[in-house]
Order: sequence, then structure tokens, then C-alpha cells
Amino acid sequence: MGLLDTEFGKRRLLSVEVPAIEKYNEGRDAAFKVALARVGGTLLLTYLLKPCHNPYRLETRLLSSYPTVPPETRVLTPLKHCPHLLEGQTICLWRQGSMRASSRWDPAKFTCIFAIQAAWRWLACYEIWHETGEWPLPEAK
Amino acid sequence: MRIFQVGAGSGGIVVLDALARDPRVTHIDLIEPDVYSLHNVYRHLFPESAVGRLKADLAVGWIRERRPDVTVDPFVADIADPLLQDRFEEMADRCDAGVCAVDNEPAKFAFDSLMRNSGKPWTLGEVLSGGIGGWVHRFTPDGPCYGCVASYLQRNVAEEPNRPPPDYSNPDAAIPEARIPASKAAIGAIASLHANLTLDLLAPPSPGGTEAEGLGFSILFTLARVPGVFDDAYRTFRFRIPKSEACLICSSLPPSAAGEDLDAALDQALARLGHD
Repeated sequence: MGLLDTEFGKRRLLSVEVPAIEKYNEGRDAAFKVALARVGGTLLLTYLLKPCHNPYRLETRLLSSYPTVPPETRVLTPLKHCPHLLEGQTICLWRQGSMRASSRWDPAKFTCIFAIQAAWRWLACYEIWHETGEWPLPEAK
Repeated sequence: MRIFQVGAGSGGIVVLDALARDPRVTHIDLIEPDVYSLHNVYRHLFPESAVGRLKADLAVGWIRERRPDVTVDPFVADIADPLLQDRFEEMADRCDAGVCAVDNEPAKFAFDSLMRNSGKPWTLGEVLSGGIGGWVHRFTPDGPCYGCVASYLQRNVAEEPNRPPPDYSNPDAAIPEARIPASKAAIGAIASLHANLTLDLLAPPSPGGTEAEGLGFSILFTLARVPGVFDDAYRTFRFRIPKSEACLICSSLPPSAAGEDLDAALDQALARLGHD
């Protein structure tokens, strides 16, 4: 189910993902809009988020196997080493089979904008952790 | 009748063996990319001396020894490979029923997409981690897709209740094995149920049967008592999961464009959103 090389993938992009991105961008300050680019067989979303005090630049990659496989989100702005942060500043957002709806990726319900909202929540947690040393959300179960 | 099966692992081979022995089955298209490994031996039909050979070839040999009149066409490939979708579509179009016996999500979604496009019924078997039970699903062209079913079931089922939390203090460390292997007996129980459900698909509608008999459904069969998960072993639960109107996998997509028009529309969307 290649995102950019099958009819299913292209239709998903045109009828679900692109309208969702355009809706997200609508009325948003230009600096905070999502930009979309094709990189090989993947799509790259780049954007800026400011959950509390600091702005962060991020990129979310939709792999060829998206939406079956969840998007990967990386923070480009340098971060301190913290919980839920994987190699290359990829943030840990999903846990397959999690009982918490917001901690598992559901390709039947979520668009790439859900990944951006999840990244916003992660960054808000990061800022709280930075101040208090405590990650405010429990582990996904 | 013609079967299109993906997967000939420890569960898939049980389903394949049972189907191939049914006199109605005359042709099987089998997709299986893997090589038989040492860790497969204690749960599979084949001996240690078969390690290193393709599972597809081993499965073909197994069937030919028992049903030489059945034509088996093996294809060593990944069902999710976008470059081979035309070949897979042909197999889906000419089959009478599909069998999905894989354990990874991209492959299940890929098979679901093929079978929905071909308008053919199909079945799926899933053994839960640790062999505590399993799911068997029957899908019909007008019913819920795998996305609808997986989305619905994830609300209710913990497949790995005792999985340890990841070690975030050392994110680059090796990740411990998350799935607890199931026993051959547990795999065999769920796979046999899977085979039965598939054979039901090949039967003509029973006279006086209800319309509901032709619809899709899911069966959960427990094999162990697990506190907080299953109250009892050996219980069945049958679900008729509704098709989700809001499902982003199978809800009808606007028939706005096709072929090259689709590419042009995508190029335009990328140009429109390419600002930075």
C-alpha cells in the first residue's frame, strides 16, 4: 500500500490528509503552517509548534507504508536528553495495543494532523519535565 | 475452488494443510516471503533439516505429498510490496476466498485492501501473545474492513498485559522481546478454527439460511484464564462489528480523479502546500 505509488495511497492523501492539513493551516500564522514536501517515497511535513514558552521546529514523516504504519516525528530544535525521546530526537508517541486511545495509532481514525497534536502534547510534557524533572503523563499501558 | 492465502508460518501452515485436504479446493495461490529458521522448528510442521529453505517451497512440497491433484502456485514476496500489487490483484480477482495468516499490521491492511477491491470474502486468524487465546475474523465485501475491526477491538483487548515499560533512560539499548511466544497447541487451536471458518465460506448458502449468515463476524476464543483479561479458559465470544461510517480506510473516497488525473491533483496539492 505505497502512499505515493498506489491509487489507494494517492486517494487517501487527496481526500483525507491534504484537506486535513489545509484545514489546520487555515487562518494560522504563516510561521506555524504545515509545509508538505515529497522526499523519495515519503512525504515530509515541517512545522513549528509553541506549546508553552518556546517554539520548536519539527518534521513528521509519512512513510510509504503510511497510514498502516504510524508517522514518525522528530524535533529539529535541540532538546535536553529526556524520557520518551528516541534516537535522532524522534519522539516516542505510539505504543501498539495501548489501552489509552491517544497512545496508539489508529489508521482508521487518525490523520497526520493527529500526529502533530500528539507532538504538541509531547512538547508540553517536555517543558513541564524541564522545569520539574517529572514527566506529567503516565507510561502508556 | 481457488484459495488465495498469504502466510505459511506456524499458524498459516495449519490452515493451509486443512484447506488443501478439502476436496472442493483445487487451486491455491500462496504468498510467503520468509525462510524457515531454527526458531520456527518447535512450532511448525517441518523438521530441523528444513532450516534454510523457503517456507513457500516447504508448504508446496507438503501439499503435493498429500493432494497431488491440487495446483499450488507459490510466490515469494511481501504482500505489502507496492511494486507487486498488480500481480496480487490478479490473484485476488480469480480466487473464491482469501486467507490471511500473517502477524504484522501492514500485511493485514494490504490483504484487506486487495480483497475489498476484488469483492471477495476472506478470513483472518490472530493468536494473542502468550497463546492465551485468539481471534478469527470473517470479512465480506460489504462489511467492515480490517481497519474498522482493529479500531473497534483495540478499545477492549490487551494483547500484552505484562509487557515491561521501555527504558527511556537508555533509549538506544536493545529492546526486549515484547511478544510472548505461543505454544504450538495454542496456535493449532486458533488456526484450526480459522480453517473451519474459511471452509464455511466455500459452502453454498444453506437453504432457509438467514441473511445474517452471509455477513462478517469475529470470534474470540480464550485458551487460558488470565486475571484482568479472560475470566475463563475455553470460552467463545462472537461479535458482529459494524462497519464504521467514519473509517478512513474503507469509507468511500470522492471519485474525483483517476490515473494521471490523480497524479496531477497530487502534484498541485504538494505545490500548494510546499511553502516554508
